[in-house]
Amino acid sequence: MVDAGFVVFQDLAYGILEGCVFAVVAHGLNLIWGVTKVVNVAHGEFIMLGAYGAYFLSAWFGFNPLLSAPIDALIGLGAGVLFYFGFLHRELRGKETVTLQTEMVTLVATFGLALFIVNLATSVFSVNPVGIPWNPGVVRAGSISLPVGSLEVAAISVAVIAATHVFLTRTYLGSAIRAYSQDIAAAQLVGINPTFVAAVATALGLSATMLGGALLTVWLPSGINPLMGQTFAPICFVIVVLGGPGKMWGSLVGGLVLGVIINVVPAFVEPSVGASLALAIAFLVLIPVLLFAPEGIVR
Amino acid sequence: MRLPRFSPSFYGLGLVLVVLAIIAPALPILSLTFLTSLLIYTALAYSINLITGLTGYVSFGHVVFMGTGGYALGYGVSALHLSPLAGVALGGAVGLVLALGIGIVTLRFRGVYFAISSLVTALAALQIVLVTPALNDGQGIVLSVGFQARNVFYTIWLIVTAEVVLTYFATHGRLGYGIRAIKSDEDAARALGIDATRLKLYVFMLSGLFAGASGALFAWFTSGVFPYVVFDLTFSLFMLAMIIVGGMGTNVGPFLGAVIVYVSYWYALTVPSLLGLAFAAIGVIVILVALLIPAGIVGTIRRRFPSLRGILE
Amino acid sequence: MSVRLVATDVHKSFGGVQAVRGLSLGLEEGRVVGLIGPNGSGKTTFLGVLSGALKPTSGTVTLDGRRIDGLSADKVVRLGIARTHQIPRPFPEMTVRENVGVAAMFGGQHHDPQDAMNEANGVLSLVGLEASADRSAAVLTAQERKRLEFARAIATRAKVLLLDEIFAGLSPEELRAAIGLFQKLQQELGFGALIVEHVMRAVFALSDRVVVIDEGRKIAEGTPQDVVRDAAVIEAYLGVGEAHAPP
Repeated sequence: MVDAGFVVFQDLAYGILEGCVFAVVAHGLNLIWGVTKVVNVAHGEFIMLGAYGAYFLSAWFGFNPLLSAPIDALIGLGAGVLFYFGFLHRELRGKETVTLQTEMVTLVATFGLALFIVNLATSVFSVNPVGIPWNPGVVRAGSISLPVGSLEVAAISVAVIAATHVFLTRTYLGSAIRAYSQDIAAAQLVGINPTFVAAVATALGLSATMLGGALLTVWLPSGINPLMGQTFAPICFVIVVLGGPGKMWGSLVGGLVLGVIINVVPAFVEPSVGASLALAIAFLVLIPVLLFAPEGIVR
Repeated sequence: MRLPRFSPSFYGLGLVLVVLAIIAPALPILSLTFLTSLLIYTALAYSINLITGLTGYVSFGHVVFMGTGGYALGYGVSALHLSPLAGVALGGAVGLVLALGIGIVTLRFRGVYFAISSLVTALAALQIVLVTPALNDGQGIVLSVGFQARNVFYTIWLIVTAEVVLTYFATHGRLGYGIRAIKSDEDAARALGIDATRLKLYVFMLSGLFAGASGALFAWFTSGVFPYVVFDLTFSLFMLAMIIVGGMGTNVGPFLGAVIVYVSYWYALTVPSLLGLAFAAIGVIVILVALLIPAGIVGTIRRRFPSLRGILE
Repeated sequence: MSVRLVATDVHKSFGGVQAVRGLSLGLEEGRVVGLIGPNGSGKTTFLGVLSGALKPTSGTVTLDGRRIDGLSADKVVRLGIARTHQIPRPFPEMTVRENVGVAAMFGGQHHDPQDAMNEANGVLSLVGLEASADRSAAVLTAQERKRLEFARAIATRAKVLLLDEIFAGLSPEELRAAIGLFQKLQQELGFGALIVEHVMRAVFALSDRVVVIDEGRKIAEGTPQDVVRDAAVIEAYLGVGEAHAPP
């Protein structure tokens, strides 16, 4: 390896940049999980839909991912409301805690949804991977080159996470959501409508997810395909568990950890083994975290 | 140990299995192949029924046992020159041990966390297999054992029969009460003296044994084991769909679910353009079942018609 | 009289909240100790530590000299200590008989399910639930659930019962009957018990000794009569009201 140090720093830079996007992609899952205590198994499929949304906006109107992201976010809001009333409302309505039954039902129902979306997408989109031809160039920081596109989406990702933090802590609706996530009965006692709050949280969650999918396309120059959700969903699960479900900045911490693992590990092992080993480690990181820090590594 | 009295549904299943065993030699190859595939899926359904249907631990990554079982046979036959039958036994053994290893760690986690751990284990296993030289890295192992349709059929038949019998005993004996209590309220179960840790592990190990044996048989059946095929999450999805539709935790449910799901799949295979839509349809069925009749077909019938409970299980 | 169950300097914290702070308590064979204190004083948490559901942050729990803190709850049950929950947790998918049968099967170690169900029938008669034996546990009233909870604990053949507010919410006649039932069963089966209670009538009628805790610490211990006169106890209970005044 020539100049190994340089390679690692380059990978580290990529890891951090990609990690930011992972974070926003997982953020929606974090939000929904943290507030409604329901895990959306179809999460990966919504990421995929967001990516395809950006692809079609690019193919039809020439929008780059930065422009597509807010449009995807709006679509996500609508999808979130539909998703809430279709899947979650029946189980959550009138209940003060999430029972094992609810957990099972939503796990299975969202799993069915995932199956449905993936296969519909495969039929409609075809399995051939596509990409968005957008390349705004590269900047150099010392001996490290940083693609402008990656920098921009990383910045937007962090901004989105920060915005949700501000929303949750500084606005009335945000406080209502936080109250609901801590104690539904108490929230109702102070006049908060649980259905409204849960629906809003779900809408925001899917909105962030689809926005993330759009931003993610920058890292997938030729990798947008119907099955991509099946790779990213587990990554998101690990990220949320790492950061702690419901802890908003946890998404960023988890995302960065995974981004770094996936990009830096291959630098230390043989090229043929690198990508697979990195993925395996990224996935298995979940286990020690669950064993030793089940609430997540963020305080 | 006193034997439980067998219910009509048990006899019904037994009858179906016996009939299949008898008519098999007379069937044309195509039908035999179809039945073999159906039985493989049935075996997988019964396997996941043990840990997910009966005990309530949703195993998203159950395909990991199938994959390792398949590779066990692949390695056993090609490198160790075992007979395919021994390969199937090896697959089962590997599944058993793997379930022990995975279960000791992951069964501590509840609900969603177990499900996700199971998922990442399967995904990680695929990645690890892809870069393991002894297992031919990502190339897969091609087997030159020749296609002995009847042997394959009777072997999977044996596996399914063993599972049906085991499931029956598990649901009717002491073990059945234990795991039902665990599924219902694990902490309350412990407060009554149920060693939930050990019981869950036993069930998981049995589950891994059968899934491993089925995976090994699948490799024999398809004369090869390829990582992207045998660790395909679609199998996990199928397994879950089958027991959800049929009825989780019931004796007949996995078989019914396997028939419904597999026949739809097989039919769609004959019309390639329909394949994606067939899976999508299965997805819709799963959604509807989960939201409207979570107990599946058999479970819901038992709930709506209590008088049938002694007959249909 | 040998002391069977001994808790020594038990602490239990949850994150920043210290629920139990250095509580020590001994329960002799066949005796009844009442554990009283205001709401939130840590009584249920303490029971959780004794039963193995929770691991103490520090301190020890021994049974007949053998350390049991840190053992799993099911192991503790098999060693002879059973608990009931403040809010009963029956298995709703099983019948009343099956609920008790499961306890007899595993805790009581009747390995044959049929034997266990027979044993369950016996226990159900003892507590007066035999008429509901075949009903689903899900349709029981709150009072019946408490009795079922108690029946399950007995079915484990435990020698030490940890009972969490089993006399709550009863009318005066029901309470009298329940106290009588408890006394009769204790005579017949010979168990010792730690009863966490707010219903003072029951505490007075049944306890050989009473321990008072407040904010996780023991503030008084003695006979029921002594404890009720203790100034610290009166202060801790200020405002609770006459409904709980002793007879």
